[in-house]
Amino acid sequence: MEDIGHIEIQHVCLGYKSGLDTRTVIKDLSLTLGAGSFTSLIGSSGCGKSTLLNAIGGHYKPLSGSILLDGVEIKTPSADLGIVFQQHTLFPWKTVKENVRFGPMRRGAGRVVSDKLADEYIELVGLSGYENYYPKMLSGGMQHRAEIARALANKPAVLLMDEPFGALDAQMRVSLQDSLLSIWQNTHVTIVFVTHDVDEAIRLSQRVVIISQRSGSISSIIETNKTHNESIERSAERTHELKSRCLTLLSA
Amino acid sequence: MIASDHEQDHKPQTFNDHVMKTSSFSVNYWLDYIVRLFYIGKHSVRIFVIPLLSIMVGLLAWQGLTQTHADIILDFSNIPSPLHVYKSFLNVVVTKTYWKDIYWSLYRIALAFTIGSLVGVTVGVALGYSAILRLIIAPYIEIMRPIPAIAWVPMSILMWPTTEQSIVFITFLGAVFPIVLNTWDGVKRVPIELVKAARSLGANRISVLFHVVIPYAIPNITVGMALGMGAAWFALLAGEMISGRYGIGYFTWESYELIQYGNIIVGMLTIGILSSITSGAIYLIKRKIVPWSE
Ligand SMILES: Nc1ncnc2c1ncn2[C@@H]1O[C@H](COP(=O)(O)OP(=O)(O)OP(=O)(O)O)[C@@H](O)[C@H]1O
Ligand SMILES: [Mg+2]
Repeated sequence: MEDIGHIEIQHVCLGYKSGLDTRTVIKDLSLTLGAGSFTSLIGSSGCGKSTLLNAIGGHYKPLSGSILLDGVEIKTPSADLGIVFQQHTLFPWKTVKENVRFGPMRRGAGRVVSDKLADEYIELVGLSGYENYYPKMLSGGMQHRAEIARALANKPAVLLMDEPFGALDAQMRVSLQDSLLSIWQNTHVTIVFVTHDVDEAIRLSQRVVIISQRSGSISSIIETNKTHNESIERSAERTHELKSRCLTLLSA
Repeated sequence: MIASDHEQDHKPQTFNDHVMKTSSFSVNYWLDYIVRLFYIGKHSVRIFVIPLLSIMVGLLAWQGLTQTHADIILDFSNIPSPLHVYKSFLNVVVTKTYWKDIYWSLYRIALAFTIGSLVGVTVGVALGYSAILRLIIAPYIEIMRPIPAIAWVPMSILMWPTTEQSIVFITFLGAVFPIVLNTWDGVKRVPIELVKAARSLGANRISVLFHVVIPYAIPNITVGMALGMGAAWFALLAGEMISGRYGIGYFTWESYELIQYGNIIVGMLTIGILSSITSGAIYLIKRKIVPWSE
């Protein structure tokens, strides 16, 4: 169990081709994400965080370099690589429940099992009572929560989350952070978490990876020395120190 | 290059745009009109009264012009008066042939439209979803599409063993192209994010097709079907008038040949009613099966 979800990013370049010229966004980035680790990515808007996340998810082929999941190169998306996208991607023609059980159903879990899973994760994100709503009838934040439930219900080995809590109010944010942490602690899923919120990154993850727009690669990595079993709250002093280091590095 | 898993075709959507615009949900007008009757408030009396007056004045003018055998551009001496049409209707509505003709037309429409929908949706999805099938099928579509269904009448009669089959074939041709083109267009527009989300949840290409691509295209498909229904009636009437036995188009043409001018207009109005009921049915079905879009 511990060994599933090890990601190796090896000298990866990512970019977009338009016509003849290629614009490279991520340049020669290498990073190891151990099985069951929790890593945050922060960096200025447009530095390539979503691009990197999509590449790990198997949606973009690197220009060069490779990304391995448990030693095997990632070439296509798969159910092991769950993504919560930055954009809304609920299926408009499916209700909340149908959306959430979509993954388990594809993986061959029966209807009954899938329904149970769906209910469980819908409750986790606080959407009980909205099972039969279509996405159009939900607020933006509620849609995000449904998307999180959909990704979680699929029980992926790796969970790639692109600013999942960006659209939520502070209270809901903290509550979902706590849920995410307890899921992480219980399942040892590997989490890659993109955020703009330094506090959130420090609170949640073991490592904060700062990506620099200028170099298109990692500018620094901050270890928070967090473990699976550690209680969520660190001393205020330690948090403050980590935060000021992050902020200095970000503005550098 | 960032190679996305699902290649999307952002090629021009020009040639089917004109098909998309003309929608014919005339049943809606009457439905709305009838519904409004039940909600008449003081201020809305005129939206009920004015259309009614407008029709009355038109009928009176028509009656007057035909009675005086006016000859202003149109020769009104050959045109049956509204009262004449009404009497013809009363005579014809009790005959078996009238209902048999309606039955035959509806039967042909149902058959041709069902086949047209199945073929149209299948071909449209194939065009939008598979690059290789698109390369194979698209040239045929491009050659056949500009040929109006009516132009097929002579060839169709030669091709098919029975006239009945050739009429159904022509009707099918009328229905199928708007459905193909609108389905294709809908499939082309599927947002890449939704496909990516499905793939990340473990969906294979077949699952993506049935859970993402086709549901996304359903609103477009129903537009295609509504347009296809209109085109099917057009083609059916041409077929019936030229080579039919039975059918409301045949009824109308026969009335001309038998100099029963009142029946011509009864036939025309019947065609109008049948065609708007069938198109309206598609609109209602759409509202039923796409609850998430409203
Ligand atoms: N589909 C695309 N085609 C071409 N260029 C793209 C595409 N998607 C992103 N880019 C470019 O790649 C760069 C990185 O984009 P990306 O979405 O990865 O940034 P990001 O770090 O996630 O930003 P944000 O924090 O605002 O979400 C941007 O300059 C953007 O213009
Ligand atoms: Mg982003």
